[in-house]
Amino acid sequence: MATNPTQYAHPDALVETDWLEKHLKDEGIRIVESNEDVLLYDTGHIPGAVHIDWRADLQDPVIRDYITPEKFAELCSKNGITPDTTCIFYGDKANWWACYALWAFRLFGHGKVKILNGGRDKWKAEGRPMTKERSTYPRANYPLPKKRFDKEIRAFADEALAQSKAKKPLIDVRSPGEFKGEVTHMPEYPQEGVLRGGHIPGAKSMPWKTATNEDNTFKSAPELAKIYFDQCGVKPGTDTVVYCRIGERSSHTWFVLTYLLGLDNVRNYDGSWTEWGNKVGAPIEKGA
Amino acid sequence: MSKDCGKLDEAGNTALHSDYPDKLNNIIHLFETLPEDERRETIVSYAENAKKQEPRKDEQFDLVDVRKDEECMDTVGVYLQVDENGKAHIRMTLGPEVQTLTRAMTAILCKGLEGCTPQEILDLPSDFVTRIVGAELVRIRSQTIYYVLTRIKGICKVYLDRQRMAEVA
Repeated sequence: MATNPTQYAHPDALVETDWLEKHLKDEGIRIVESNEDVLLYDTGHIPGAVHIDWRADLQDPVIRDYITPEKFAELCSKNGITPDTTCIFYGDKANWWACYALWAFRLFGHGKVKILNGGRDKWKAEGRPMTKERSTYPRANYPLPKKRFDKEIRAFADEALAQSKAKKPLIDVRSPGEFKGEVTHMPEYPQEGVLRGGHIPGAKSMPWKTATNEDNTFKSAPELAKIYFDQCGVKPGTDTVVYCRIGERSSHTWFVLTYLLGLDNVRNYDGSWTEWGNKVGAPIEKGA
Repeated sequence: MSKDCGKLDEAGNTALHSDYPDKLNNIIHLFETLPEDERRETIVSYAENAKKQEPRKDEQFDLVDVRKDEECMDTVGVYLQVDENGKAHIRMTLGPEVQTLTRAMTAILCKGLEGCTPQEILDLPSDFVTRIVGAELVRIRSQTIYYVLTRIKGICKVYLDRQRMAEVA
């Protein structure tokens, strides 16, 4: 894999708004909207899109974890999704939750996934069609996933600590103020319950937004390579861990590194700062 | 004012304390009778009507407070007019990034608090919010629904403080 790419490693992981508008009724695709604003889908969405809520649909209600394989199979089945369905994710906030939902689908081994470049805001800004009509599809029969790919694409706190101690690439994608420990919440967001501010020792600060253009589309491959290979010290063949506060902004960066730059050893520490900042015995660093 | 709401205090006892203005109380009761799907639809409908709560042409206000705070994603404007009978009339403006739930709460509060006195608004408890929205939709990142109430109370407090200062001057 080149560290000076001229194009995305997996360009087929992105679809453009223009393409999607022409393929809304294609067989074999399912458009999936995932948002932070829990009612945004209800106010209008891309025709044919189904709604998958990051909390109600993807997270276990009791344990801080993802749903069981049985529930994932049921979620897909009720939305008419089979393992052969190409799921095209999009959403608000520059696709944070779309990338999070995509990553969660990959956790269960669903391989056919794409992101709508620019997300919901770009689609809407371009005046493309929206509807309030809820989309329903004939029930499918999604087989029970044989395993969850936690080991491959997810990092837990002890693995983040090992990454820190080994001085391997660890990217903190939160805002600079959060990284430095000046604030314990995202700009413009409420406090999400963390005792300490700062970052995991050895982490490099590279806010998620560095990877996007003004219209929320992803930057070009050469630009991304410069950011992550040159500035963050990410290397093909070396494990990389990304984190934020609860794993959604880092899902965005995970998507960039995995699909646009083609790294196959990137893990998302979804426990992120809401776990690390509260965790007894976890070391922190403050400042730039 | 009606008195029919209770919530648990820190010892787990039911504390009956909530007095809601009648208009707000009617809205609360409406939401509590709706099945979940209709509740969501009604919230969205209120959110879409938030624009109707903006100041109208030629309206005059006693106080105007337009600002962008850390707690909310976009600018929120609160406009207060108190009539000769001491009743408050509130208008609000919301930036485009404000979330749907917050928009809905804006419309609900402007309608539900119409005609209350500033002091009644200041005394309003916030425990009605989950009764309208439902526990499922209130999340950490949806806490700005409380922010709107805080802003309305804030402008009422400034109004009352100024009134008291004028009285003692």
